Amino acid sequence: MSGKVFIPQDKLASALERLNEKVPVWVPVSQGADRWGIDFKPFRAGMVPVMDRQSTALPKEVIFPQVQTLMTFEYVKAPEDPGRVQLKLEEPPEAGNALVFGARPCDVRGFFTFDRVFTEGPFVDNQYKDRREKTLFAVLLCREADEACFCSSVGSGPADTAGGDLWITPVEGGYVVEGLSERGGSYVQLLGDPATEEQAAAASRSQEEVSRQKVGSLDPSGVVQGQKDRFEDKDFWRSMVNQCLGCGVCTYVCPTCYCFNITDEMRHSRGERMRSWDSCMFAVYTQEASGHNPRPTKLERYRNRVGHKFSYFPEKYDGMIACCGCGRCIRSCPVSIDIRKVVENLKERSHACA
Amino acid sequence: MHAHNPYLPELATVQEVIGETHNICTLRVVLNDPEKMKNFQFTPGQVGQLSIFGVGESTFVINSPPTRMDYLQFSVMRVGEVTQRIHLLNAGDQIGVRAPLGNGFPFEEMKGKDILFVGGGIGMAPLRTLLLFMLDNRQDYGDITVIYGARSPHDLCYSYEFDQWRSGGANLVLTVDTEHPGWKERVGFVPTVLKEEAPSAHNRVAIVCGPPIMIKFVLFGLKELGFEDDQIISTLEKRMKCGVGICGRCNMGSTYVCLDGPVFTYSELREMVPEL
Amino acid sequence: MSLLSERLGWIVFEAETKRLHELVKAVLPELDGIVGWEQGFDALHATPVFVNREEDVHRLMWSPLCVHNLSGYLVKTPPFLPRDEGRKVGICVKGCDSRSLVALEQEKFLGRDRLHIFGIPCEGTVDWRRVMKKIPLRGVSSVRREGPELKVEDSRGVHSLPWEESLARRCLRCAHPNPLVHDVLVRDPVEPRIKKDEAYGLVEEMDQKSLEERLAFWSAELDRCIRCYACRNACPLCVCQDRCIVETRDPKWLTQKMGISEKFMFHMIHSLHLAGRCTECGECERVCPMEIPVTLMKEKLNQITREILGYEAGIDSQLVPPLLTFNPGEHEL
Ligand SMILES: Cc1cc2nc3c(=O)[nH]c(=O)nc-3n(C[C@H](O)[C@H](O)[C@H](O)COP(=O)(O)OP(=O)(O)OC[C@H]3O[C@@H](n4cnc5c(N)ncnc54)[C@H](O)[C@@H]3O)c2cc1C
Ligand code: SF4
Ligand code: SF4
Ligand code: SF4
Ligand code: FES
Repeated sequence: MSGKVFIPQDKLASALERLNEKVPVWVPVSQGADRWGIDFKPFRAGMVPVMDRQSTALPKEVIFPQVQTLMTFEYVKAPEDPGRVQLKLEEPPEAGNALVFGARPCDVRGFFTFDRVFTEGPFVDNQYKDRREKTLFAVLLCREADEACFCSSVGSGPADTAGGDLWITPVEGGYVVEGLSERGGSYVQLLGDPATEEQAAAASRSQEEVSRQKVGSLDPSGVVQGQKDRFEDKDFWRSMVNQCLGCGVCTYVCPTCYCFNITDEMRHSRGERMRSWDSCMFAVYTQEASGHNPRPTKLERYRNRVGHKFSYFPEKYDGMIACCGCGRCIRSCPVSIDIRKVVENLKERSHACA
Repeated sequence: MHAHNPYLPELATVQEVIGETHNICTLRVVLNDPEKMKNFQFTPGQVGQLSIFGVGESTFVINSPPTRMDYLQFSVMRVGEVTQRIHLLNAGDQIGVRAPLGNGFPFEEMKGKDILFVGGGIGMAPLRTLLLFMLDNRQDYGDITVIYGARSPHDLCYSYEFDQWRSGGANLVLTVDTEHPGWKERVGFVPTVLKEEAPSAHNRVAIVCGPPIMIKFVLFGLKELGFEDDQIISTLEKRMKCGVGICGRCNMGSTYVCLDGPVFTYSELREMVPEL
Repeated sequence: MSLLSERLGWIVFEAETKRLHELVKAVLPELDGIVGWEQGFDALHATPVFVNREEDVHRLMWSPLCVHNLSGYLVKTPPFLPRDEGRKVGICVKGCDSRSLVALEQEKFLGRDRLHIFGIPCEGTVDWRRVMKKIPLRGVSSVRREGPELKVEDSRGVHSLPWEESLARRCLRCAHPNPLVHDVLVRDPVEPRIKKDEAYGLVEEMDQKSLEERLAFWSAELDRCIRCYACRNACPLCVCQDRCIVETRDPKWLTQKMGISEKFMFHMIHSLHLAGRCTECGECERVCPMEIPVTLMKEKLNQITREILGYEAGIDSQLVPPLLTFNPGEHEL
C-alpha cells in the first residue's frame, strides 16, 4: 500500500485517462446537460465525472448487468447422420477487470447482499463471482446525504470503506486518494502527485467529521417479528402501499435487489439463454402457468419486497439486512413511497401487539 | 449438474414419449454423457429443470425412482409455452436437463411406517417416484395404500402400470369423478373416497399431491382421521426460474421452494408465510 | 412520520388546503373515500393518500408539489371506485388531471356520476429534479412560493429560484390549468400560461432537425431507458396494464434485451396506443427516473391528430375519440 495522492479537480479527467489505460474505469456522469440524474458509464476521454451527488442508476450494472448471457446454444446437424439434430452449448467468455470510480459506500455495500446469495452456495453463480472478484471500487467519502438517506441505520455510514479498494476524499480544490486494498493501492501513484501534509490533514479531518455523522434514524430491530405479526393485516399493508404504481423503479435502482428472470432468444438455429433484472413489483413475477398468482396485488408484492429486505433476508443470513440505506427507492419512486415508514410502522404495531 | 455453472444444463436424449392423457405426456430421458448417467444420484421427490433451447426451462418431478436408473422419467402437463413444446418431442430429440434439484421426500424417516398416498391428476407424478421406490424396498415399509383419482378414466396417468403397483404390494384405490361405461373401480371425489377407506392414522405418513381444491378437502379428511400435521407431507408448486436458490422468484418468506422444497410437512407449512 | 412533519416546514398553500379540508369534510360521509395528496418524505415531495375517515382529512393538502395525476387510481388494478352504484368516490384534480377524467369517460372506463371531483386551479407544479439541478440542496427544510420566486431552505440557508424555472415542462406548456370537470372548485380559476396553439414549441423545434439528428437525439435519450415501465404504469390511459406488449409472450413482441431497438419498439407502441387519447398530463415524463422526455413523443402524435382530425382528447366528454371510430367511407385512412 502506498501513501496518499492529490488529484486537482481540473486534472481528474486526465488521471482517469491514465487509470483507464490500466483497467477499464466506470465513472458517474451526468445524464444530460439539463438533467439532474447521473449514471455510471464506462470512461471515455473527455468525460467529466459528477461527484457531487448520488447517482440515479447504479454501478450494480458493472457486476450484475441488466442483461447477461448465461450460455449460447445452437442446433446443428449430426456430422455422421444429417437427419439427426444435435445441440451445442457454449458458455460466455470470462469478464475483464473493472474499476468503479466514485462509488458511494451504499453502492458498494449493496454487493454484500449479492455475495451471500450468489457465492455462498449451495450453488455458486460463477459469472457473478468472476466479475465480483475482478471489480475494484474507489469509494467516495460521502458528504451529500439527503432526506432519503439512512445508511447509518442499516450498518453502514457515509465514511464506510467496507468493500473499497481506494478511498476518495474530496478536499478544497480536488480529491485526496488513498489505497484500501493491495490491488487498489497499486493504482494510487498513477492518479496524482503525493498529497501535501496540508491536503492529507484536510482529508483526515473530513473523514473524521463524516464518520461521526449518523445518517438516518431508522431502527430496524423488531421488524422480523413485526412482519410476522402484521403479515395478514391487509388494511395495514393497503394503507402503506395503496398509491404504488407497480412499476419496477424501486427495484431497478436498488443496490441490493438482485432478482432476475431467465429467458431464451433464438433466431434460426442459434440463440442464447440470458438473465435480466426482474422486479418482484411486476404483476407477472409470480404468475403461474395456470393463471394462479400467489401475490395477486401490489399489497402482497410490496409486502414481499419489504419482507425480503428487512425480515426474510435477515432470517436466512444471520441477521443481515438486505438494504444499504441508500434511499434510492424513496427518491426515485414516482409516488414517493417511503420504505422507512413501512418499517417504522411494522415495528410500532408489533410493539403494540406485544 | 455442472459444478462450475449451475445454470448450464446437461444435454440429454429423449428415449421414449408416452401419451398419458389428452394433455399429459411422459418423457423417458437419458443424459448424453454415459458417465454422468451412470453416476446420477437423487432422492425421490427431487426435481429437474427441462430445457427446450430457444423456448425456455420448466420444472418437473423426476418421477422414476432412484432404484430404476435406465432413464429419468418426467410427466408433463401441457399448460404453457415450454410444456407445449415438450409435447412435440419425439424419441431421439435433444433437450437439456438440470437435475437433481430440491430436497426430496424424507424416505428414511418413513421406514417401518404405514404409508398413504393421496394423488389427483398430474399430482400422481411426484408420488409415483416414492411409490416405486418403496415397492422396490417393500420390506422397509408397512401397509402402502394409494388413493388416486382423476376426472375420468382417461385422465388417469400410468394406467398401464396399475397391475404392477398392485402386484408389487400396493393397496391401490382408483376413483373417477363420475360414472363411465366400463369403469369397474370407485366413483367419487378423492376426499370422499378417503373418508370411505378411512385408513388408520396410527404410525402412518400421508403424502398428498394434487390440485389445490383437492388438497384442501383431503386435509380436512386426514384431520378427521386423526393425522397430525407432521404426519402429512405435500409438495409445493411455485413459478421457478433458476431452481438453485439464487434468482429469488420462488420464495415464501425466507423459505425457497426450489432449495428448501418442494417437499414440506404440514407442520413446516404452518410455520411459513401463508402465500400459496 | 409525525416526527418528520414536525421537523420540516412544507410548501403548503394554506388557504387552499384549509378550503379543501372544509369541502371534503362536508361530503365525506357520502363518499366511499377520497384520493388526494399528503406531505411526502421531505419538503420537496408529496405523495398520494387515500382518506376515508374524518380524522385523516387533515392529512390532505394542496401545493405545487402535488404533482401526481391521481385519475389512474380509478382505473388501474385494484381500481379505487365506489362499492355500489349509488355511491361516489372523491378525487382531487388539477387542470391537466381533469382531462384524464374526461378522456376516461369518453372511453367509457369511468362514469362521471360515480365521482365527486375536487377541482384545483393550478399555477404549475414544481419539478424537484429541476430545482435540485439548479440548486444542489442538502437537507431541505422548507419550500415556499414568494411572488415570482421559489424559496428553498436547506442546511446551508435560503435559496431562491424564479418560479418559472422550478416548474415541470408540462406546466410550462399547459393551456388548461383550470379543471374542466369538477363538483367543487377549491380556489378561484387562474389565467392559463399559454394558448393551446403555443403548446407544441418543442415538437416544432424537433421537426426542424434532420432525420439523423432526431435519430441521434432519441437514441441517446432512450439508451438510458431501464425498462422499468413507470411511464406506462403511471399513465391513466395506459389501460392494458399486465396484458401489455412487453409482457405477452404470445405473440412475442419484445425480448428482455437492453438494445435500443427493443426500447424504440416499446416506446413507439406505447405512444401509438395513446395517439389521440393522450391528454398530455405529462405523468410518463414526470415519473421517469432516467429523465427521458417521453411525453414529447405523444405530443408529436397529438399535434398530428389536431392537424388532421381537429381533435383533442379529454376536452369534451361527449366526443368519441377519432381512433375509436370507424367509418367505412372515410378517406385516406
Ligand atoms: C417443484 C415443481 C415440480 C413440478 N412438477 C411438475 C410435474 O412433474 N409435471 C408437470 O406437468 N408440472 C410440474 N410442475 C409445474 C410446471 O413446472 C409448470 O406447469 C410449467 O413450468 C409450466 O411451464 P410452461 O412453459 O408450459 O408455462 P408458461 O406459463 O408458458 O411459462 C413457461 C416459461 O416461459 C417463460 N415465461 C412465460 N411467461 C413469461 C413472462 N411473462 N415473462 C418471462 N418469462 C415467461 C418462463 O421461462 C416460464 O418458466 C412442477 C412445478 C414445480 C414448481
Ligand atoms: S417505485 Fe414506487 S410506485 Fe414503483 S413499484 Fe416501487 S414502490 Fe411502487
Ligand atoms: S431498499 Fe431502498 S434504501 Fe434500501 S438499498 Fe434498496 S433502494 Fe436503497
Ligand atoms: S419510465 Fe423512463 S426508464 Fe422507465 S420504461 Fe419509461 S422511459 Fe424507460
Ligand atoms: S427458482 Fe430461483 S430462487 Fe428458487
